[in-house]
Amino acid sequence: MRWWCASSRGVAWDWTWQPYIGVWALVALLAVFYWLQVRKLPIPESPTERSRRRRQAILFGGGALALWSALDWPLGPLGSGYLASVHMVQYLLLALIGPPLLLLGLPGTSYDKLRAWPRALTVLRNTTQPLVAFFIFNVAVTVTHWPSLVDPLMRSQVGSFVLDISWLLAGIIFWWPLISPVPEWPRFAPIFKMAYLGLNGIMIRPPFFILLFSKFPAYATYELAPPIPGTSALSDQQLAAGIMKLGSALIMVVAMVLVFSDWVRSSQRQEPARADRF
Amino acid sequence: MSYLRAATTSVCILAASACLSASDRETASGYRGRIFPDPRPKIDFTLKDTEGADFGFRQETDGFVTLLFFGYTHCPDVCPIHMANIGAVLNGFPFELRRQFKVVFVSTDPERDTPERMRRWLDSFGTDFIGLTGPREQVNQIQVALGLPGSVIEETEGGEYLVGHSSSVLAFTKDNVAHVGYPFGTRQDDWAHDLPKLVDERWGSR
Repeated sequence: MRWWCASSRGVAWDWTWQPYIGVWALVALLAVFYWLQVRKLPIPESPTERSRRRRQAILFGGGALALWSALDWPLGPLGSGYLASVHMVQYLLLALIGPPLLLLGLPGTSYDKLRAWPRALTVLRNTTQPLVAFFIFNVAVTVTHWPSLVDPLMRSQVGSFVLDISWLLAGIIFWWPLISPVPEWPRFAPIFKMAYLGLNGIMIRPPFFILLFSKFPAYATYELAPPIPGTSALSDQQLAAGIMKLGSALIMVVAMVLVFSDWVRSSQRQEPARADRF
Repeated sequence: MSYLRAATTSVCILAASACLSASDRETASGYRGRIFPDPRPKIDFTLKDTEGADFGFRQETDGFVTLLFFGYTHCPDVCPIHMANIGAVLNGFPFELRRQFKVVFVSTDPERDTPERMRRWLDSFGTDFIGLTGPREQVNQIQVALGLPGSVIEETEGGEYLVGHSSSVLAFTKDNVAHVGYPFGTRQDDWAHDLPKLVDERWGSR
């Protein structure tokens, strides 16, 4: 039994279900972590608070589900051993969809607990500065898609685990300044949030060029994997490039719309207050 | 400052890995395939092609760069990967270059590889790929004569079987000798690098 998905090892793909214990352990850890965060919270009295709590649970659950679906069968083994396009879907789920949902789902009190670890707080404060976070995320995405690094890593379960967790951590760092869950760390105004997202949406990283324009398959992992009927290594790679660019751009657009609508709502809330003052 | 250092280090690692990936597979011979210390002369054998006609290997492939591979169409990994990679590269060559190659696939599984099945399978990689079948004993003798191990049947669950066979493609140049072999793991980039060189190769003058 394998604990984490890695390259195909020459085994032809079939639709036989396989368990991946490491993935289950990760999801179970997330569930336990969430339970530890909410178990001592007072029972909400107001309907608004109740609905907020419910919303947070759904968001966190959605984030955990995104990670689970990316890492477990069938996306996990398909993406780590057979199809670059599925590998890119995993990337979207692990770096761009799961992290914001997890961050939005945590209750505010979770962040208060961070104060007990000043050193961790300092690291977090530094790495989640918007420009630093942007830089870290883009370097991490570029490096973790670089063929000569990906191929050796994907050969082992540990290497594949490192890649997956790198995406998750890079995603958390990227989304942190936008969601700004710590009230004392107001990062930047909505207009700059939209610029941050927009710039990331149009950012063209070197791996995209490699995947889209190379004459031959870039990743040995997929080129030398038992073929799946109806696919070729090169067309799968080009599809991967499309998923990487368009998927990422779509997620950024959705996030920009949410930031904008939140901005409009908060402006509307401030208007009556301002009117009262005069 | 530390961020600047981190950025510089990242860029250096990327550049180094990019350089490695481009050059680490080329050997001293200039080929990415394995040069045989004892080149293997083309042998003369006749098998049936997918039209049911006799195919005299030496005679029919004389004057061409010939890629010879022993495998079977039910093969889950090595055979379709080799054939797909060779097909993808050859199909990208200009016609004048492309016509100087013949790809010959000899079945190691004559029971299941009917001419129709083999033709359909080969057409998905290259419509001009040649498929040959013959009695298992004869095919094994040919493999051994070419310095390859004979194929063996490996029973699997449900009464099915796999066929163990050599994963090397032999590349015969126009002198009718195979000087280079291509093991499993040869990538499209490697084929594209080596095949045009094989067309113009004059081994005697090296």
